[in-house]
Amino acid sequence: MPSVFDTPAPDAALQLALDRVKRSEEEGRGSDMEGLAFNQVVVNMGPQHPSTHGVLRLVVTLDGELIKDVIPVIGYLHRCKEKLAERRTYYQYIPIVDRTEYLASMNCEWGYVLTVEKLAGIEPTRRVEFIRVIMAELMRIASHQVAVGTFTADLSPLGTAMAFYTFRDRELILDLLEEASGARMMFNYFRFGGVRYDLPDGWVEKCHALMGKMPKLIDEYEALVKNNAVFLSRCLGKGVITQEDVAEYGITGPNARASGVAYDLRRTRPYSVYPELDFRVCLAEHGDVYDRYQVRIDEMRESVKIVLQCLDMLPDGPVQVGSLRAPYVITPPPGECYVGQENPRGEYGTYIVSDGSRYPYRLKYRDPCFCNLQIFPKLLRGTKIADAVAISGSMDMVLGGIDR
Amino acid sequence: MALPRIGSADMTIDQVAARLKGEIAELDDVRIQVPDTVVCRVDPATLKDVAHRVRDIEGCGYEMLNFIAAVDRGDKLEAVYHLYSFVSNSYLELHVGLPRGKAEVDTVSDVWPAADWHEREAWDMMGIKFLGHPDLRRILLRDDFVGHPLRKDYADLVENHPYA
Repeated sequence: MPSVFDTPAPDAALQLALDRVKRSEEEGRGSDMEGLAFNQVVVNMGPQHPSTHGVLRLVVTLDGELIKDVIPVIGYLHRCKEKLAERRTYYQYIPIVDRTEYLASMNCEWGYVLTVEKLAGIEPTRRVEFIRVIMAELMRIASHQVAVGTFTADLSPLGTAMAFYTFRDRELILDLLEEASGARMMFNYFRFGGVRYDLPDGWVEKCHALMGKMPKLIDEYEALVKNNAVFLSRCLGKGVITQEDVAEYGITGPNARASGVAYDLRRTRPYSVYPELDFRVCLAEHGDVYDRYQVRIDEMRESVKIVLQCLDMLPDGPVQVGSLRAPYVITPPPGECYVGQENPRGEYGTYIVSDGSRYPYRLKYRDPCFCNLQIFPKLLRGTKIADAVAISGSMDMVLGGIDR
Repeated sequence: MALPRIGSADMTIDQVAARLKGEIAELDDVRIQVPDTVVCRVDPATLKDVAHRVRDIEGCGYEMLNFIAAVDRGDKLEAVYHLYSFVSNSYLELHVGLPRGKAEVDTVSDVWPAADWHEREAWDMMGIKFLGHPDLRRILLRDDFVGHPLRKDYADLVENHPYA
């Protein structure tokens, strides 16, 4: 009879790490390398760890402070979202999409709705397109605020101050989104060929006022850390992702653009009204931790510009094509398609196979964090354990998306 | 090595499709999905060879593996490889049909390292075995899970739940 005081048997990932240590010990025996593996310690970082931003678990093999090997373990937040899709109608599934990458729910909903609209051949009205861009870009700012805030908070106490600033301002954006959609984070706002509600009275003015203020607030974040010696020494030249890595590991979003790859679906595979809008794809050249931070800051500024343009161009019109009941009873013809969409973290796409019924036959997410996370072992090997925190913070993971 | 500038080849999707058809005879049933995707069918036996050549084609090499989706088609399972080419700014979908009873195909994780986790996910969810994969473990479900839940014939049995 096993007792609670027994040491539990190691699971597959831990066993793998232990085996690798053992193997390197055996390989070293009788050679110059003898005893080198002796000092290696296998440490579980997570799933409950403040700097993994969710339930990411890293099985880390350490030699003193140096990281020898990393095995990421995911799945602690798996909620069977792909299986759930097969038992729900297209319409019923929208709120579930919200909960994948929960820091960017608006963008996720848009990704799903775009795919279904393409399958079913629905064209949203022009007013809808502008409202969607506004919501998605507001969400992008809010998401980058969390990313930058928590990342700097991981680095030093100074950064914790930064997190207060970014979270303070994120709340202003969430207030706007709440006023438009009725919810603070899980919006359930997008509909096939429309959005759920039209913008309330006075919303455009409020949004205008906040966006006018936003560049100043972003300056404030930058002023906090930009010339700080501690911040710079922990960021510059750490965790470099080369352009080759970007292609090999399928890295997208700000993490790819920080390496100078101009892969931004808003420009490379334009959707909605992005071709009409004037904005810059933010790039950096070194691909280190600092560049990934800088690209996010720049993107916030660009998003502010996009929102302001959309508010000025916002046309009048209905916020739903067809009847109001139209989105409830949607049956796309048999077929399949994949549509990618630029999320704050990279390419978020949905691949849907339809058999002509009211339920998706198969739905598969392409989640940016899932792909970005794969490069972790390569990035972390050979760095110090303290840098691991900086690097993982700069990659901006959301486990809800990774585990689905 | 720097990647080519996105879209620098300046090819239309028809040109890309013609180029692919001309260079690689193993691609069957080549179709174009507007605006920028080429869809084709590949025999599982030739997949590895095709993967290498598709990646290295001059002028529209598919350097990036976007994702692998596994689909249950009833009589067969299917692995869908979704690739991206920076230089021609286009996508390529390789559909590989596998018999249900013996769903095995060569791994492409040595062609695109990104395939590693996607193949593990396809194994976990759909039970497609990738031969030669360095570490084909479950990825999202727990280690002692029984069955492959996204197969249409998966039955959720109580005896498969040790903690229920």
